[in-house]
Amino acid sequence: MKVLYVIFVALIIVRVGSINYSYPEGARIRIQGRVLTEPVVYERARYIKLKGLKAYVELFPEVNYGDSITLEGDVEGDKLKNAKVVEIDSGGGLYFVRQKIVAIYKKALPEPHVSLISGIVLGSKSGLPPDFWESLKTTGTAHVVVASGMNVTFVTSFLVNTLVNFIKRQKAIVLALAGAWVYVVLSGFDAPLVRAAIMGSIAFGAQGLGRVSTALHALLVSGSLMLIVFPEWIYDLGFILSFVATLSLILFEAKIATMLQRLPFLFKKDLATTLAAQIGVTPILFIYFGNFNLLSPFINSLILWTIPPIMVVGAAAALIGLVVPALGEFVVFLAYPFTFWFVSVVNIFS
Amino acid sequence: MSKKAWLYLISFLTVIAILSWLVVISLPKPNLRVIACDVGQGDAILITKADLQILVDGGPGNKVISCLSRYMPFWDRTIEAVVSTHPDADHSTGLVQVFRNYSVTHFVTTEINRETDVYSTLKKEVGESKAQIHFVEKGERLIYGGIYFDVLHPGQIPPASETERASFKTNNYSIVMKMGYGDFDALLTGDIEDKVSDLIADTSNVNNLVYLKVPHHGSKNGLSQKLLDEVRPQVAVISLGKNSFGHPHEEVLKLLSNSDTKILRTDQIGDVVVETNGSTWWIK
Repeated sequence: MKVLYVIFVALIIVRVGSINYSYPEGARIRIQGRVLTEPVVYERARYIKLKGLKAYVELFPEVNYGDSITLEGDVEGDKLKNAKVVEIDSGGGLYFVRQKIVAIYKKALPEPHVSLISGIVLGSKSGLPPDFWESLKTTGTAHVVVASGMNVTFVTSFLVNTLVNFIKRQKAIVLALAGAWVYVVLSGFDAPLVRAAIMGSIAFGAQGLGRVSTALHALLVSGSLMLIVFPEWIYDLGFILSFVATLSLILFEAKIATMLQRLPFLFKKDLATTLAAQIGVTPILFIYFGNFNLLSPFINSLILWTIPPIMVVGAAAALIGLVVPALGEFVVFLAYPFTFWFVSVVNIFS
Repeated sequence: MSKKAWLYLISFLTVIAILSWLVVISLPKPNLRVIACDVGQGDAILITKADLQILVDGGPGNKVISCLSRYMPFWDRTIEAVVSTHPDADHSTGLVQVFRNYSVTHFVTTEINRETDVYSTLKKEVGESKAQIHFVEKGERLIYGGIYFDVLHPGQIPPASETERASFKTNNYSIVMKMGYGDFDALLTGDIEDKVSDLIADTSNVNNLVYLKVPHHGSKNGLSQKLLDEVRPQVAVISLGKNSFGHPHEEVLKLLSNSDTKILRTDQIGDVVVETNGSTWWIK
């Protein structure tokens, strides 16, 4: 095992060292590619990442996750200034399905409830009202609407548990993992999702092969593989947070849960989870954003229980809605009591 | 039934019960409200009465969606009418999201067109929706739930080819409406400039109204003395945000403060909410 990690580290160093987009500084260039990170919609502009460059473009014409676009602008470091979208080809297939699902949610509930649901289910937060996004950040709850590994774990275990009722466990695992990867693409192919999908694949794959896999090894191997394939993710905040949070969970969650056992508190399991994740995440958030909320673990423990029902209702609504849109819209409605609680808690504490 | 099935059934029924209570709590009041949404530098005016909504313009970004969420019950996903006074981006951009988030019954507009990315997207959204499109001109009256809207402008749009129309100054073809409900009335003016302000003062009955939406975000060439003297509003609402055009213009503010009117600005107090029961009115 040790030899393997040494090889991994060596490979990562080589790969990270070779990151080089080499765009001529100051030149006006045209780049063409698929938008693989969901654009962020601000009041007056849209923020997109394309081929290692960041750019602000006008709100219209609209660029969505999955579109193939041609972008023109002036290179300035890793930014493309005065950027203009020259051409857009909408992405088909799964990208289209994703937009369809978000459209169903949008018709069913008002903001910020609908963005909360699409954020939790699909990691899509392009419609999130900016003031609510700020509230999420100040309360330390923004992680629920960004693509997170928790979703992948949830999808995988849900699929395994359902499928084993019908087919053999091994086949169920293979199908569930395939489902998890479809979900990763559907939700934006962000680093945290990929991390969780690889970890899940390793954990379940090892189970399937009859090997014992520890969570720690799964995390380290998947982290290494990701950096070898996508070395630029070493600078990606989502990757870093996802990796560190998972590491903290593996190391501390069980211990904290034992410590909290005596507490007469309803959501103590969620509290243990959040506290454990915070141990690693807080310093990083502090370095990046310069602030953190002391109440955050408490706020998280108040709202985390709403996530599974929102995911289940949202996913059911999506599946039903793709066939009968009106029925899907009705199902989304059932998530309202949960999102109402979530939004109220966040608004009270922000 | 198994224990698990019971558990699911009970959870489901609990959710339905809570949902019903949330619906009951959010039942709207029967008063009429005219809400100038704080959408920054642009216009979005929401008129609500119980579960009826009429939205006049959508502002420059997506803020209108938050405004609709604030003043509409969560279960009401239908806007009875959306009026697009003219195709400029500071009035029509937000309408794109309105069509994606809500069912719209009527889309009220004129045949004035602009070939911009925003307006083309809006036309596509309207076309794909189930909304009935209604082109209006001077002289028409629209009635929604006891609220009437008299269209005072534009009159005949000069015949021109699509491309010629695209280069029109669209402001002066804004839809201008006089809204009335009981003793309460309001003049909604879009972005008209002073010569149209004069024209409306001369040709329409806009004497002594309660509410004036000051034309064109308080621009210098918007409200005319003549129109102000005719309308003599009790409350004048200016919808604007940070801008580089110098809105609201000093002269317009002076004009208004010399008259006996209360000035309310969205850039100072956020959403401007005026409520009426048809006989008296008050500011929320």
